[in-house]
Amino acid sequence: MASYYDIGDILAEEELVPTVFQYGANGVGLLDSSDDADKVEAGSRAELPFWLVRELYLRQLVSIRVPPCFDRESKTREEIAADAAHVDLRSRSPYFYELGCKIALLIRDRTIGPFLLVAFQTRYRDVLVKAHALTLTMTPKYLTLLTNEEIKLYEAGQSSIAAFKKWRMGGPRFQVAPVLGRKRKLT
Amino acid sequence: MDSGAGESSAADDYESLMSTTDAELLKSAWRNEKAAPEILNYAADLVQRSRQQIQLMEEMVEDYINDGVDPLTVSLYQIDLDRTMFLLRSYLRTRLQKIEKYVFHIQKTAEEWNRLSKQEQKFASRFAGDIKHHLDQSVLSRLPDQYQSHLRQSAASEEDDMVPEPQLDSYVVCRSKKYLGAYQLDDGGQELINIEADDLYALPYKSIKPLVESGQVDLV
Amino acid sequence: MAGTSDPHASAFSAAELEFLAEDEMIEIVPNLRMDALNFISGDFGPFRPQIPTQAPLWLAVALKKRGKCTIRAPEWMSVDKLTQVLEAERDSDKFQPLPFHYVEISRLLFDHAQGDIPDTYMVRSLIEDIKDVRFHKIGKGLESISGGGTFALKLKNLSAMEANIVRPFVTRALETFYKLSSSDMIQETDNAPNRQQTANRGPRVSYMFMLYIVKSPTDAQRQLKDR
Repeated sequence: MASYYDIGDILAEEELVPTVFQYGANGVGLLDSSDDADKVEAGSRAELPFWLVRELYLRQLVSIRVPPCFDRESKTREEIAADAAHVDLRSRSPYFYELGCKIALLIRDRTIGPFLLVAFQTRYRDVLVKAHALTLTMTPKYLTLLTNEEIKLYEAGQSSIAAFKKWRMGGPRFQVAPVLGRKRKLT
Repeated sequence: MDSGAGESSAADDYESLMSTTDAELLKSAWRNEKAAPEILNYAADLVQRSRQQIQLMEEMVEDYINDGVDPLTVSLYQIDLDRTMFLLRSYLRTRLQKIEKYVFHIQKTAEEWNRLSKQEQKFASRFAGDIKHHLDQSVLSRLPDQYQSHLRQSAASEEDDMVPEPQLDSYVVCRSKKYLGAYQLDDGGQELINIEADDLYALPYKSIKPLVESGQVDLV
Repeated sequence: MAGTSDPHASAFSAAELEFLAEDEMIEIVPNLRMDALNFISGDFGPFRPQIPTQAPLWLAVALKKRGKCTIRAPEWMSVDKLTQVLEAERDSDKFQPLPFHYVEISRLLFDHAQGDIPDTYMVRSLIEDIKDVRFHKIGKGLESISGGGTFALKLKNLSAMEANIVRPFVTRALETFYKLSSSDMIQETDNAPNRQQTANRGPRVSYMFMLYIVKSPTDAQRQLKDR
């Protein structure tokens, strides 16, 4: 399991997912704060972190309501279709793609994947253009629209351009050794 | 594999191998090691030969100095020596970094373990031992029995689920010295790519792993 | 940030690429007499005053620094050649063939042998322009990567430095595409009888910078032969 120490993956699983309890359960009142009884009724709704939802779902204790941003008839889908680059995905979920993937794989929903793909495809072009443009003044605002994966992509593009520019301006370079008098001890 | 390299004959390969100097080989071993996500086969013979050459050259430079050979010539030999040593050191160091990163994975995978040199194996064993000792001392020994493994999340885990391993499907950039023809990218056999000489390709590492191992393509 | 353990970090630093470029051969005209040098990296020389000979760049630069030779700018570094390249680079979406290490070589020569390059100023600005046009095209090319199939990317005639610069972005983006379009994520239209169909769809290869998406291996081979 390669992702065990992956902090991004851990945080992605903290994202809340709306669920519906299939059975009543005692002693888990903290999951449903609507009343003081220390239990949840069958059919009650709760938003739980993904890591917990997965375990409950696999035991058929809860059903998952696909979060609105991935839903087939959601506003997010319409917005993406209209102008993907400027949709604030971060506010939907900073782990939009990761969470989408996890939910899609868990509940075997085949409509989420193509949607994520289209979203990424249209948005990453913009990320690229902005990363390479390097006009630092405009970036902070733009970055607030991006999900974590997109920000990493942006940083990857930007830092390699920056490293190249530094080298061109005469940054640290491999020195051809100024020789004589510099001897290595024979081993 | 069988879909690739139809035209190249064994004689060709032999010829290109013979015309490649150790300096070139060391450079490509270094490049591949730096770019590949996993640890590659230790280039035992090459390292051995390079070490010998370095030593010979050091002795020679020493002699030149003693014999009062023109300082310019000596300095040029020294640069050549420094360049070769840089490659060798960086090669070995890159490997050590990978060993540190994936030590538990390498340790339990016989195939990868065998890619290490004797010294590297010794290093890996000691390194793994030290890490385990440290984890035991500082944390694990104070946890309940079923959580004391440094490899598994709990006694209920069915496999070593806390061991980081290299991501073989990460993408690499590669270049072939010669035309390899249609090469099969995935297991299903439906993805083919024409690998032409001297062009660059960005591909998942695992799809060209055999070509890297056989020396047909270089990672760049 | 994951720092050095980040698998997406550049595999090579610019300085390391420069190191590799220093092994490229270049013509020098020595002004000293020196016997052949038998290096680990190869045999060079002998060197005779005013007799042009070939040497690796690092050696050329080392001699130049000590005033022992002049360096002859490579053929591609002439105003004529570069003007042609720049025009072709502007007219076409393809990348013009240039030495694999052209960025590093030109910087090394400008740094250490400026006086040996005819029309230095022109040459320098032409190379800058070519580089800018190419970078712009790289951006355009990357924008056109289509997901849902891009499995491999062909970077025809891209130089070492250019490839290294786009590497972190490209590999990361391709990995996300790869993940999002895995068969678990995307619906298969039909499971059993789609072999034929998939075969016709051809390889999922984006022939970036070549202006065409190859339809099938046979097409690709045909195009190869035509060239």
